Amino acid sequence: MSVYGLERIDVPVAPPGFVDDTGDPHYVAAPCQAACPVGTDAPSYIAYIWEKKYQQAFEAITATNPFSSICGRVCDAPCEPACRRQSSDGAVQIRNLKRFVMDKLGADAPLASFEVSRSESIGIVGAGPAGLTAAFDLCRSGFSVDIYEMTDHLGGMMVWGIPQFRLPAGTIAEDISRLERQCPGLTVHLNTALGTQVTLEELKARHDAVLLAIGAWWGKPMGVSGEDHSQVEDGVSFLRRINAGERPQMPETVVVVGGGDVAMDACRAALRLPGCKQVKVVYRRGPDEIPARQIELHHAQKEGIEFIYNVLQTGVVDTGDSLSLQCVRTEAGPVDEGGRRSAVVVEGSAFEISCGMVIAAVGQKGACNALDSAGMMDADRVHADFSTMRTADPKVFAAGDGAFGGSTIVMAMHQGQRVAYYIKAALDGIETPIPYRTPFRTRCVPVAQDLKWEQFALEEPVFHGIGEQPQAFPEIEDTYDEAAALREAARCYRCDAETGSTDYAVHHREDLFSMARTHPQDAAKHQAMLQRRLQPRDNPFPVQRTASLDDLVFLPANLSRLVIDPYREACRIDVGLGCGLNLAQPFLVSGLDEAPEEIRRATWQSLAESGAGYLGALAPEPGVHWLQVVAQEGACDPNAAGCIYPWREGLTAADCAPIKNKLSGFSVSDPCHIDAAVQCALDSGHQLMILDGTGGNGSLAAEISTPPRFDLLSLTVGALRKRKKEEALLLVYGGGVRSGTDAARLIALGASAVVYGVAAALAMGGQLGHGNIQWGSERSISERAKGLSSILKANAGEASMMARCTGKTRLHNLEPEDLRSVTLATSAMTGIPVPGHNVGRRHVQG
Amino acid sequence: MVSLDLAQLSVREANTQLRTLGEAGEEVEILNPDARHHIGVGLTAPIKVSVQGSAGYFCAGLTDQAHFTVTHNVGWGVGDNMYSGSVVVGGNAGAIPGVAIRGAEIVIKGNMGSRAGQVMKAGTLCCMGNANFMAGYMMYGGRIIILGDSGERVGEDMSAGEIFIAGKIEDLGSDAMVTDIDQGELDEIYEFLDRYEIKAPGTLTKVVNAGGKLRYGTPERPMRSIPFNTFSGASGYWNPKVQEDIAIKSQSGRYRIRGYGGARPLPHLSDIGFRQDLSGVGQERDVVGKVQMATEIGGINGARPLKLSMPVMIAPMSYGALSRSAKYAVAMASAMSGIAENTGEGGMSDAQRDAAGQLIFQCLGGRLGWNIHDMRRADALEIYISQGAKPGLGGQLMAKKVTPELAKIRGIPAGIDLRSPSRHPDILGADDLVIKIEEFREATGYQVPVSVKLGAGRIRDDIKIASKDGFDFVELDGMQGSTGAGSAEVIDNVGIPTLPAIIEALEALEEIGAREKIQLVLMGGLRDGVDAVKALCLGADAVAFGTSVIIAGGCIACMQCHVGQCVTGIATQDPEHESRYRPETEANNIHRFLESVRWQIAAITHALGYDDVGKLNRDELVAFTPEAADMTGLPYEPLTAGADVPQAQVNP
Repeated sequence: MSVYGLERIDVPVAPPGFVDDTGDPHYVAAPCQAACPVGTDAPSYIAYIWEKKYQQAFEAITATNPFSSICGRVCDAPCEPACRRQSSDGAVQIRNLKRFVMDKLGADAPLASFEVSRSESIGIVGAGPAGLTAAFDLCRSGFSVDIYEMTDHLGGMMVWGIPQFRLPAGTIAEDISRLERQCPGLTVHLNTALGTQVTLEELKARHDAVLLAIGAWWGKPMGVSGEDHSQVEDGVSFLRRINAGERPQMPETVVVVGGGDVAMDACRAALRLPGCKQVKVVYRRGPDEIPARQIELHHAQKEGIEFIYNVLQTGVVDTGDSLSLQCVRTEAGPVDEGGRRSAVVVEGSAFEISCGMVIAAVGQKGACNALDSAGMMDADRVHADFSTMRTADPKVFAAGDGAFGGSTIVMAMHQGQRVAYYIKAALDGIETPIPYRTPFRTRCVPVAQDLKWEQFALEEPVFHGIGEQPQAFPEIEDTYDEAAALREAARCYRCDAETGSTDYAVHHREDLFSMARTHPQDAAKHQAMLQRRLQPRDNPFPVQRTASLDDLVFLPANLSRLVIDPYREACRIDVGLGCGLNLAQPFLVSGLDEAPEEIRRATWQSLAESGAGYLGALAPEPGVHWLQVVAQEGACDPNAAGCIYPWREGLTAADCAPIKNKLSGFSVSDPCHIDAAVQCALDSGHQLMILDGTGGNGSLAAEISTPPRFDLLSLTVGALRKRKKEEALLLVYGGGVRSGTDAARLIALGASAVVYGVAAALAMGGQLGHGNIQWGSERSISERAKGLSSILKANAGEASMMARCTGKTRLHNLEPEDLRSVTLATSAMTGIPVPGHNVGRRHVQG
Repeated sequence: MVSLDLAQLSVREANTQLRTLGEAGEEVEILNPDARHHIGVGLTAPIKVSVQGSAGYFCAGLTDQAHFTVTHNVGWGVGDNMYSGSVVVGGNAGAIPGVAIRGAEIVIKGNMGSRAGQVMKAGTLCCMGNANFMAGYMMYGGRIIILGDSGERVGEDMSAGEIFIAGKIEDLGSDAMVTDIDQGELDEIYEFLDRYEIKAPGTLTKVVNAGGKLRYGTPERPMRSIPFNTFSGASGYWNPKVQEDIAIKSQSGRYRIRGYGGARPLPHLSDIGFRQDLSGVGQERDVVGKVQMATEIGGINGARPLKLSMPVMIAPMSYGALSRSAKYAVAMASAMSGIAENTGEGGMSDAQRDAAGQLIFQCLGGRLGWNIHDMRRADALEIYISQGAKPGLGGQLMAKKVTPELAKIRGIPAGIDLRSPSRHPDILGADDLVIKIEEFREATGYQVPVSVKLGAGRIRDDIKIASKDGFDFVELDGMQGSTGAGSAEVIDNVGIPTLPAIIEALEALEEIGAREKIQLVLMGGLRDGVDAVKALCLGADAVAFGTSVIIAGGCIACMQCHVGQCVTGIATQDPEHESRYRPETEANNIHRFLESVRWQIAAITHALGYDDVGKLNRDELVAFTPEAADMTGLPYEPLTAGADVPQAQVNP
């Protein structure tokens, strides 16, 4: 799947119940995931690695990939060129990170096994990556599977095609044994070749469906004279011998013809064999066209292999003591169908390369006499339709290199998954299933919090090359150590993750990326993209959403008011509440009456410094402004600046007379009580009213659990205005006040000061837990005091910044007219108008 | 000696002649100046001009190389932004003499008004009399010599430069201090005074920046962004984002800073849509060829308009917030697509000028990088009043990004946490603005359109002022606009969303019958051709894209623009990080994005039945949400049956 292709814009639906798919039509796979033929959730496993959650990383890796250990070493990793960091300072080393996890857990991490739950069975011919992956998926779906393998090993080209210095036998065994453990319904028939030990008719009779995954097992000839010489061998045959354990004596110079992965493995294997001193690779096109994976190429070059580009072989001649590979030079011609420049022979450029052996790695082919004679082969491939994975025989399916040509392990696995899907659909009696697409899932892992993520350079694993004892085929490179793995994992951009921007959420960003990679003339892609972009979003403010302080925004000064410079110009924030209670910051702290003593001491220390006050029943240390919450009259502490009586129904002016030279007032939390409380307060001559938006008399638990009723403010202002006594009571609002911005909003709505409860507790190191604040012991009193002072200072700065942005040099000059509400619900609750149509002509409700 | 008599000539005519005479190397005297504004504005030849009388605002403003003498007094802003050259004023000067000078020498023989040398970068301002309050306010370099007394708060918030005072110092400004003078400095001062035949004073006191406010104290603990939008609203009042904010502020004692646009969902153009069924849109071949999209912006008052191949431009983004390479890529892409690019605050570079076909040059209160030569080579000028992301705040650039190279183009000291002033020294109200616009027009021969960038707030009032003050167009930026660094709380809580902003602007213009007197470019959270067409239908003349262009050019929206180590090389000044950015490749990507936008605009316009984007109108639109219906007055058509019923309107 192309990362910026049409199918990523116009995402095909996933069949219901699709394993390992988000099922979320809005989910956009990250480029690496989109590029992976089996849809590996790479961003999640990388993030898990950074969190050292290796078991979860292992689960994410193996979810769609039964050959994860193998892929950790030799996958051609199409994810990496797709990685967005590729164009910056190098792709995240996704494969090496997988290897790191698999080396840790691949051998024995437990995985659930798939019980047989279906009566049908499937026969699979060929135990390569396609056949085994199909077997794995079919077993997962509950079928019994019999797999018929002509060699004595499971694994196909993974076993026979890749030398052990890249892929040790133990790594293959890890995956195979895990697969066998997970698939109790899998029966393996080794040394069983189609046409010899078993026939297709027998398989069709035995099974409900048959899958031909015969592989492309045989090397293609070069098609030049002299290639039947005993010292000319095809690449796959050569590798097969080596992988069977042979270590043949080699001539001094070996020439490998070809530029693919087989050529890379063959040249590097030859270099390690006894007698070989020099290996040359000849390739008919230029270095930009060579199909070998870049890292293989670099490794081969590092090991000293010589690459000769733009050379085409024309024959092999035996010169007696050696061979001569006859060649001509080529140059780049027109672009061919595959998008590569073709190789055009340069006239009169013939030359020869002298060597002792020629290994021809110019392609592979499938072959099976039995299928051939049954008319099921199309030249060197099983004839099959990629859109259904079916052959002409309704009971027989095909997949892998033997059906669709030489490819990679991960593509073969994709085909295995694909064919398993169509076989299951057929056995479920679905005639025209929804077309297969690769499943994409995310595990929604948080972004790695390593602050050097922008700077860490790509981690190269330690490379050993051919090593001290080349013939033992020691591994070429090491697995990352943990520190390197964590650094590499931190480099991930996390293209899958939301970063906190609504308007540029992942799906928008990916669309913009796609638009930026669409050719101006590509009408089909434009059209698909436009349809996608025309889709409306869900309403972020559905009716059930309640009013929120967040919905109130400030109107900045621009041309119609003098702009005040918030970085420099002063803004007064102090407030006098009366009777000599002057707060340097318009803030009170509350809810800490029952906190541990050290918390209270930290609070007193901070409040004495910052000049904010305390609202509570408990007396703070002297020097702290204190509004005392008292149950009844007469309990007022001489040290308190004022007394606050919690309002209860039936309270009269006689019950709570004001005290001489002290502030007094009620605390109200129920909107229904406001009118009576206001009347009573005015009657008895109180100066203050505490509006407790979350109830519970300042209890932190109540503040945590209750949505704040900040409409208490507008209701109280309304009640006062109705009596033409707007200035008669100062209002202090508490409950759900989180920031300086909230404070500024509440002051604009009519408060003179606000109360921080939970926010203050969090700033002192409290943690939310069990519906309350939990106090750990990790901070000292002075650290806690500093935390509180800092948050009050920050909030004072924020509040005054809001005021200055609106053109005010005094926080308390903020007024409702400085606000707009971006939702109707909040507008209805506060009377603050919604901006836009007719806004200037509307009546603002009080 | 040539005489120009302002009793006979308008200032505009006189300035035109001055330019010609300057080229010819003539000396000129100005007779009967009558304290008129803008005398000599925009001169860039080594000419001698003698003003016989008093001059008004901005005498000798926006000049280079010219030498002026004024026999009597001058008004506000004498020598505004002067590069080299000199002004000698025989009498007194009004407020902000030598504002934003970049190398000129200005001598005031009498007293001078307040805020002398505000945001000056280099050069000398010398006053033989007394200085009023806040001399040297926010100066970034150069020297001020006050031979009399200085008023209150001298050196207020200066970043660099020196102030020498011979007389009494009323008091020192915020973050200013007195320091020792060395002999070399004194010798230079004496040499200067000698050159202007001024008697040297007995002693001088030197005032410099005290270094207390150039950098933030406790650095904010950096961290990679966690998504706010996914857990705001329904998911808990004390959500992890709120907790994180409190945790960080309880360490730093300061508001948080971040880059990018608004975090939270707000009513948006996404909440309105098309009345017609567009499911078949774009099926016809060559839709781009079937719709007239070319748009002219800025020509309504007679200036040379920007000629846009479609009603789209690039939003202002500064070199500073963005790397040189990123700005270069955007400039190239804008030229490839035939639209206009905008310098933002950080000044204009040659590479950017050469790469951009059409370039708007932005002027901010700090006058960073602002100068007559770049004004002359700009295709439009823009006065920044505020921006949608952080209206009320000036630009902000953390020290990591204020490299020596960047500091040079802006004319400021390197390595400071730059907080640009949010108010222009010479624009305190609508009437000042009229004079300022006229100064720009004088300096550019009335050829270049002048626009205003406005962050959306009281837009109903602001737009009326903008239109009455004579701007050619307004770039209206809703609160969903982005920034390279700003207070997180301001980004998310100040301003109104883009959707209601354009409605208020248009209704206000209709109200005073001025819709035809100013063009309107909408920006702030617009992402694609769909948003563009909706904005055009609502009544915008054009739209501008900022963030989406940056994303098209490789931004991954990590929202760490302010840190200065942008991993993609876009929002950084670190050469290693910048080297990761491939301007040519990304210019192509941005170009393809813009072409995709073009295709979308054409396809929708065509599908709606029009052959010209100018014919798009609001009858094509409906509102999908009650909020959008309320904000726009469009008919409310919920998307699905049983969707939200509009609440009773709060206001009749």
